[in-house]
Amino acid sequence: MANTATQLPRRRFLKTALSAAGAAILAPTIIPSSALGLGGAVAPSERVIVGGIGIGNRGLYDLGCFLEQSDVQFAAVCDVKEARRTLVKKMVDAKFGNENCDMHSDYRELLDRSDIDAVLIATGPNWHCTMSMAAAKAGKDIYCEKPCTKNIEQSLILRDTIKRTGRIFQAGTQRRNLPHFAFACELARTGKLGKMKRVFAHPAGMKAMESGWLPAEEEPQKEVVDWNTYLGPAAYRPFNKALLNGFNFEKGGGFVGAFGAGGVLEWGSHCVDLCQWAMGDCEPPIEYNPPKDGHLVAKYESGVELIFREKDWIPLGSCPVRFEGETGWVEAGDSGKMVLSSPELLAGRTVLEIGGYPATFHVRDFLDCVKARSQPKTNALAACNAHIACHAANVALYLNRQVRYDNKTNTFNDDEPANRMRSEALREPWRL
Amino acid sequence: MLMTRKFACSVFVAALMLVVATSVRAEDGFKASPEKEKELIAVLRSDAPPQDKAIACKKLAVDGSSEAVGDLAKLLSDPQLASWSRIALEAIPGTAPDEALRKASESLDGNLLVGVLNSIGVRRDVNSAEMLTKRLRDKDEEVASAAAVALGRIGNAASATTLRAALTSGPAKVRSAAAEGCVLCAERLLAEGKTADAVALYDEVRKAELPKQRIVEATRGAILARKDEGIPLLIEQLRSTDKKLFEVALFTAREFPGSEVDKALAAELAKATPERGALIVQAMADRKETVVVAAVSKAAGSGPKPVRLAAIKALRQVGDASSVNALLETAIDADEDLALAAKATLADLPGDKINSQIAAMLPNAKGKTYPLLIELVGQRRIEATPALLKAIDSPDKNIRQAALLALGETVSLKNLNVLISQAINTKNADDAATAQQALKTASVRMPDREACATELAAALEKAPAASKILLLDILGDVGGEKALKTLSTAAKSNNPQLQDAGSRVLGKWASLDAAPVLLDLAKTAPAAQFRSRALKGYISLARRFAMPDEDRADMCQKAFDLSKDPAEQKLILDVCRIQPSIETLKLSIKFMKVAELKEDATQTTLLVAQKLGAKGINVSEQLSTAGFQKVKVEIVKAEYGSGATQKDVTAIVKKQASDLPLITLAADGYNASFGGDPAPNTVKQLKIQYKINGKAGEATFAENALIVLPMPK
Repeated sequence: MANTATQLPRRRFLKTALSAAGAAILAPTIIPSSALGLGGAVAPSERVIVGGIGIGNRGLYDLGCFLEQSDVQFAAVCDVKEARRTLVKKMVDAKFGNENCDMHSDYRELLDRSDIDAVLIATGPNWHCTMSMAAAKAGKDIYCEKPCTKNIEQSLILRDTIKRTGRIFQAGTQRRNLPHFAFACELARTGKLGKMKRVFAHPAGMKAMESGWLPAEEEPQKEVVDWNTYLGPAAYRPFNKALLNGFNFEKGGGFVGAFGAGGVLEWGSHCVDLCQWAMGDCEPPIEYNPPKDGHLVAKYESGVELIFREKDWIPLGSCPVRFEGETGWVEAGDSGKMVLSSPELLAGRTVLEIGGYPATFHVRDFLDCVKARSQPKTNALAACNAHIACHAANVALYLNRQVRYDNKTNTFNDDEPANRMRSEALREPWRL
Repeated sequence: MLMTRKFACSVFVAALMLVVATSVRAEDGFKASPEKEKELIAVLRSDAPPQDKAIACKKLAVDGSSEAVGDLAKLLSDPQLASWSRIALEAIPGTAPDEALRKASESLDGNLLVGVLNSIGVRRDVNSAEMLTKRLRDKDEEVASAAAVALGRIGNAASATTLRAALTSGPAKVRSAAAEGCVLCAERLLAEGKTADAVALYDEVRKAELPKQRIVEATRGAILARKDEGIPLLIEQLRSTDKKLFEVALFTAREFPGSEVDKALAAELAKATPERGALIVQAMADRKETVVVAAVSKAAGSGPKPVRLAAIKALRQVGDASSVNALLETAIDADEDLALAAKATLADLPGDKINSQIAAMLPNAKGKTYPLLIELVGQRRIEATPALLKAIDSPDKNIRQAALLALGETVSLKNLNVLISQAINTKNADDAATAQQALKTASVRMPDREACATELAAALEKAPAASKILLLDILGDVGGEKALKTLSTAAKSNNPQLQDAGSRVLGKWASLDAAPVLLDLAKTAPAAQFRSRALKGYISLARRFAMPDEDRADMCQKAFDLSKDPAEQKLILDVCRIQPSIETLKLSIKFMKVAELKEDATQTTLLVAQKLGAKGINVSEQLSTAGFQKVKVEIVKAEYGSGATQKDVTAIVKKQASDLPLITLAADGYNASFGGDPAPNTVKQLKIQYKINGKAGEATFAENALIVLPMPK
């Protein structure tokens, strides 16, 4: 039998166990409040007051992760959909045993509140960057779902604004706070795999997604669904309930003819982020080639290749990444498992196996950084670099030819069509 | 419903655009061309519906030139198309768009004017400065604010002067926007080397009556722009009673260039309250290149507990050999929180020098320090085998077990037999579980796994019965040819316990090299349940791993030939569904002839055919051999939910319908496909009313069931 199982037959899964009492366990760190001498209770001054904006399906999951934290007080929800506002209020009030969760339909009301320290932004991708900018300018710290930006210019402006405003920003790429992904990245970053040659990311689709101008339908009452605010910075189109699934609405943006243009952003914003972490949080690649045989190959200045590929992964779950160096490799996915070229790479460590890509640890990291004013794992700079890599790959995908990117000028080299796709005007009155 | 001509036209254009959207890649490399631009301008000039003009605008962002600007500018007063028009106008190079936007600003008001001013800001049109200055005094606060930020983006000296004047007069909202513009100007001045001007501008914002966040931004800028002379201002904020200013000081301390600030932070640490001290020490440690390590070590060794804990944790990032002794003392401190933190830091401190220090201390260690050092040897993987071998004979259980675990982490193949012996012939019953864990830890990390498996296999022969199972499990974790061979032998032995353990471990094997072994076992294992287990393991390999389609089909066929149980046969159909190819399609069609499998195989065939069809693979020949013809499927109504709580999902199901009586959803699971769970924590169903070739039918599906529409009678 031909054996093309990505060389897996010669390797084995390293099943990681919790029970190695003597081994160093690589796991997310959560310091219990009891360790701070508080007997498990959290003093009011230690609490982070959080508000949620755009709490749909993913937002409800994130909200759950926030509510698990004993030092979070969830004060208010804002959503353009009445049903969502009331659902979240019910959830939050049930958690805290009171009626205190306020509801807003206009995000500006929530951002104007001086009692709120941080916001969870889980709107559709159309709003992510604009809302994050507004929150930063209002003095809020931000946990923002991915993809955080719609184009290259947004990525850069968001990065600069977070710095300028001194806010804490965590992109919702929670895999950075899962031990097996963190370990895999560390192996690459610290030279344990030898000189790096290639990093692989699963994009989950190298195509655009529909979210265009659909036939007008009767617009609901503003109190039920505020369509104007839902559209927000996206160019105008009439109400159509099919567009209310924020998940794919205007994801990516910036593409002529492609309404949604998810391109490589869906999982790319997760997987490329991990690849770039593995490369020491490097700048984005400088060369991007159109897809060939299911592979879109980009190249970093160091010569290392970033390969977006759909197939040929070891079955380790969704969002897999693979890092190859001259002397070793590692592959990891959402099952919580990883495969190493040699068990020696473990170097005595036991890596906690957490499947199902929970965001709990990522949220905890964010809250810790809010308190310490330090940089979370996927801070604005890291998120900017990962997103630019995805957006630039999308430009190569759309133009169907190679594009070259200059990280100093943040433009494509002598390439006007590509440069015109770096940004896109926002609908009035919104601005970055 | 009859479509109007306009709507039909727009549907056609939208459909065309969607083809572009979903295929994205053009056949040829992208080239902007005047011809494309002419076509798009023609759309703008026609009576095409707004959706067509919108897309034309968007395409002009790439294909447009000054030729298109006039037609685009006409749309700036159209509430539906202004934003689409500005997508192009922001992108087209040259002065024509600037002129058009300036001209539009003369006649527009409200949001449309705000949009134009925003675009002028994005384009940094210096020639608009005079107009923006006037608009800064507009009675519409949104307009005035947009003008302020646009001036900030232009960012020249004249803009700065204008914005500075606006800081102290006018509505609060506009003053805040002016401050935002001032900070943008200050950044640009700084980048141009005009430091004094930038500092003055930052200071002016700091002193103005503005929202706190504007003050915070200006304070950060004022500190950084001053370089080392900004350190006193930074320290001033660290002492501020205002939480926001203290916070921005912590943030800015981390990005401050040079090393002078590290000394200032170290000095401030000693003066700060415990709560603030704990935060300052974290900021110090985040400056890895220049941090004053001695100050962090000192804070770790004595002082208020919150500061000590933060400092001990900080040493994980910045500690060195000089930190070891103090940390060892803390690691045996009576305060458990401090001790745990110190142990964690000792395990992580980087550097070979620290390993040497610990190894040198081990032979003479006493009391609580002895097991602590042994534990660190294991955690840090320090070579100290002789000392550990001595420790496993200690009368103290804690020391013995710590040494066994440390050996698990550090022992080489040469001394693996020591752990094998401890695991299968433990002198102290208390140590058995620890020794077994240590052997497993050591075995899976051996670089030469074949050699390791050979050692384990040799031990297996002599091991007492109870230990054989342990060794087989460990061989499964080690993997490789020798392990496979040994497990196969065990599975075919005449010992039922070994048959059980061998087939169990092989059945979960996670690489394709086990395929021939599992197939052989599926034929020859001594008991039926072990043959079945092996067969399921074999099918699992076919399901999970990448291989040529022919090989997968060959594996499935071989599995089918051996299978006796319908449950096993359904697993083979799962392989076809998960790994669709022409080969697996042919196989599922073949299985349709098996009476017990007919229904499942039919569904599988349709599913595989649809997946292949979606990839552009022609499967009509295979389907006609299976007796399938294309049908016309019409979805009349679809509802998803429970009881009275039903969600109308007609549009989604309609969209997924094809020319087969099968509906495949866009996402995994009904909830994900239908935009969320309409009735959480209840049993839900999907009910579909439909027509196939004009005949009406209705079907109900349990949540997440495969949706195959029965042919209406």
